[in-house]
Amino acid sequence: MLFNSLHFLLFLPAVAALYYLLPHKYRWILLFLGSCYFYMAFVPSYILILFAIIIIDYVSGLVIERSIKKRTKQVYLLVSILSNVGILCFFKYFNFLESNLDSVVTFLGGNYKPSELNIILPIGLSFHTFQSMSYTIEVYRGNQKAEKHLGYFANYVLFFPQMVAGPIEKYSQLGSELKKQISPIYDNFAHGFRLILFGLFIKMTVADNLAPIVNEVYADPKAYNSISILNAIIFFSFQIYADFFGYSTIASGAAKLLGIDLINNFRTPYLSISINDFWKRWHISLTTWFREYVFIPLGGSRVSTFKWAVNIIIIFFVSGLWHGASWTFVVWGLLHGIVYLFERGLTKLFKLQFKEEASIINFLLGVKTFFIVSFIWIFFRAETFDKAKEIITSLVNNWKVEGKDVIYGYAFFFIGVLVFFDILLKKNRIDSWLGERNELVRWGCYSVLLFFVLTMSGMENLPFIYFQF
Amino acid sequence: MIKKVSYKLILLLIIVTSLNFIYLNTSYKHQLKRNSPCAYQCQNLPEGTDVVYFGESSNTTYADADSTKLTISELVKYYNPKLNLVTIDTMAVHAGIYKYWLKEMYNKPKAVIITMNLRSFSASWIHSSLETQLRRSVRLSRPEPKIWNRFLLSLKNFEDRTEAELDSSVQKHWREDSLIFPFKFKHQNVKQWDLAMGSGGWLKPDGSWDMEKSGLATHYIKAYAFNLNEKNPRIRDFDEIMLWSKKNGVKVLFNLLSENVAFADSLVGKELVYLMRTNKEFLVNRYNKMGAVVVDNFELVDKTDFIDKNWTTEHYNGRGRMRIAKSIVSKLN
Repeated sequence: MLFNSLHFLLFLPAVAALYYLLPHKYRWILLFLGSCYFYMAFVPSYILILFAIIIIDYVSGLVIERSIKKRTKQVYLLVSILSNVGILCFFKYFNFLESNLDSVVTFLGGNYKPSELNIILPIGLSFHTFQSMSYTIEVYRGNQKAEKHLGYFANYVLFFPQMVAGPIEKYSQLGSELKKQISPIYDNFAHGFRLILFGLFIKMTVADNLAPIVNEVYADPKAYNSISILNAIIFFSFQIYADFFGYSTIASGAAKLLGIDLINNFRTPYLSISINDFWKRWHISLTTWFREYVFIPLGGSRVSTFKWAVNIIIIFFVSGLWHGASWTFVVWGLLHGIVYLFERGLTKLFKLQFKEEASIINFLLGVKTFFIVSFIWIFFRAETFDKAKEIITSLVNNWKVEGKDVIYGYAFFFIGVLVFFDILLKKNRIDSWLGERNELVRWGCYSVLLFFVLTMSGMENLPFIYFQF
Repeated sequence: MIKKVSYKLILLLIIVTSLNFIYLNTSYKHQLKRNSPCAYQCQNLPEGTDVVYFGESSNTTYADADSTKLTISELVKYYNPKLNLVTIDTMAVHAGIYKYWLKEMYNKPKAVIITMNLRSFSASWIHSSLETQLRRSVRLSRPEPKIWNRFLLSLKNFEDRTEAELDSSVQKHWREDSLIFPFKFKHQNVKQWDLAMGSGGWLKPDGSWDMEKSGLATHYIKAYAFNLNEKNPRIRDFDEIMLWSKKNGVKVLFNLLSENVAFADSLVGKELVYLMRTNKEFLVNRYNKMGAVVVDNFELVDKTDFIDKNWTTEHYNGRGRMRIAKSIVSKLN
């Protein structure tokens, strides 16, 4: 079920109403059934994959906690990790691995017939496997008590607002939120409504209006002049931001209606002054996951500079691969890693120190970071290296060629609105910001956002980009 | 709290109603013109229009060798110069869409000419992949509040089935809809008939299988082999048009298009021709009884005047279009 569908806009109030009508001890059943229904709107049989993940990690959590020997704990943790990674690899990376194996064998002069798995990737698989794994790792580390109630644990993995595209929550956060005894409070409804409205605006009005232009240019880059290519590159930066940020905002709003707080996954990422800063503001829950469960176990920053640099490259490599089973995603991740190391090196070499205050220097650094990130997005958006090459060569070579042009006026307008909100909301979330305004301003904002959503949304109704991960 | 929430919901409703008014007076017309030009044309019909001709590709297609490139509707006007006629047409459209366009006409004409294409009653057309685009194009002009329609359009809330779903519906009809004949016929449904024709069918003089001819024959079977009855969704569309006609006092002429019956006979046989003629009779009788004028052009155009020889279409050369136009004019007066 898509957030931007009538189905969801009817489903959510129905679940919220029933949720508050039910006594607290039965609410987990409603959430469980509602989440199953939500997920089964995509491919019903795939719910079995989620059930498998739930059972494996629920049991793993219990046995890890009960085991006394560290070795035994490690074995159970390994079972959990291998099961999750195995499921992920099978569904997401099987064809990728097969085609790479084929290339290697062919390169070595051999003959290998790759078998192809002709299935649809279960939606959001990377998100719920990572979330579920974080639970068993935390139990293993002794930071989290194993959950005895299978229903609550199932809801942690399945919780419909965030199950398909995050944020990737820790059990210590979401688990306790799910157990909270919540009464219907007006503030929760108000905050939920604001977040959902703003999220729909960002997704449907900004992202879905930029998408057709980006798709058109990326489909045949050679036909466009350099200005159009440059615009498409910039538009994609805003499209993916609006798409993912919009999703996360709606997810937070939907959870808030049920009185549940989700962590913030974004903090004005395009106002970052460096790549390091960018990753502290973009998809925060994933960055946190990689830092806590990959980077720190590899030694983190308490190793030699060389080892640290290798660790950084490993993190960005895995992050790229996490996004998609293609080398273009890997290159996207690695480019971030390289720029990250380069910037950190320069900062160390010249002993540079930056303050978070608004200044001309920070503005220029922000512009620089935005253009670097936008350029690297080419590898994320292009389906193949050839396509990425076409985009880059057309960008460089087509300045004097009379290539096709597309109309951009409305796109720039929507980007302007998004940037305006980003600056406005640098230190505050939209729901809190609106809550601090007087009623006239608040309802004025609602009216403007509603007008945009109701009458100026894109007509393509595209699924959320991050659903594919 | 219930009081507070109710008060806010009422306020929200008032805002949305006001936004609907603003939308109607700002971007609605522009969006309608861009996304549904035919509906826009209906809404902006000039006052004093006598007749509106609703057509599809049969109206606009011509052969390169034609002495006249005028469309059927232009020829109707040519034969009746005093007639104030407006043409509204686009490709592969049908009654399921015309019925929405009719409701958009604030200035009612004296009569409307609606194209009636026998193939548009077939399963492959009813479940065609073009339907999504057509359904999308009428969403904005549906009778519900326009702001709601616009919102539903961006939520893709119109019939939007995948290619696989559409194909499965077509296959189901071909497999499950029994063909009824007053005589004995070996094939019970389209699927069986299609398989027989596809695997055997026509042979070349040297005894080998004539794939091209057999393929075309199967296409004719898929396009015309069905029994029409009131359960057919397209019949319901035409019935709705009749209801609109009665309610608004507008005369309706159904331009029943010519089909290449002679070619169907030579290619597939009398059984298919029987179905085609029986269905034609069903349409003529039903809608004449309901008060429409059915302009029966079904076998009016000669087989040599069909432009496409290798496909089932209602595309006629200049002579064919002229014959149809004259036939319409004779019923219009």
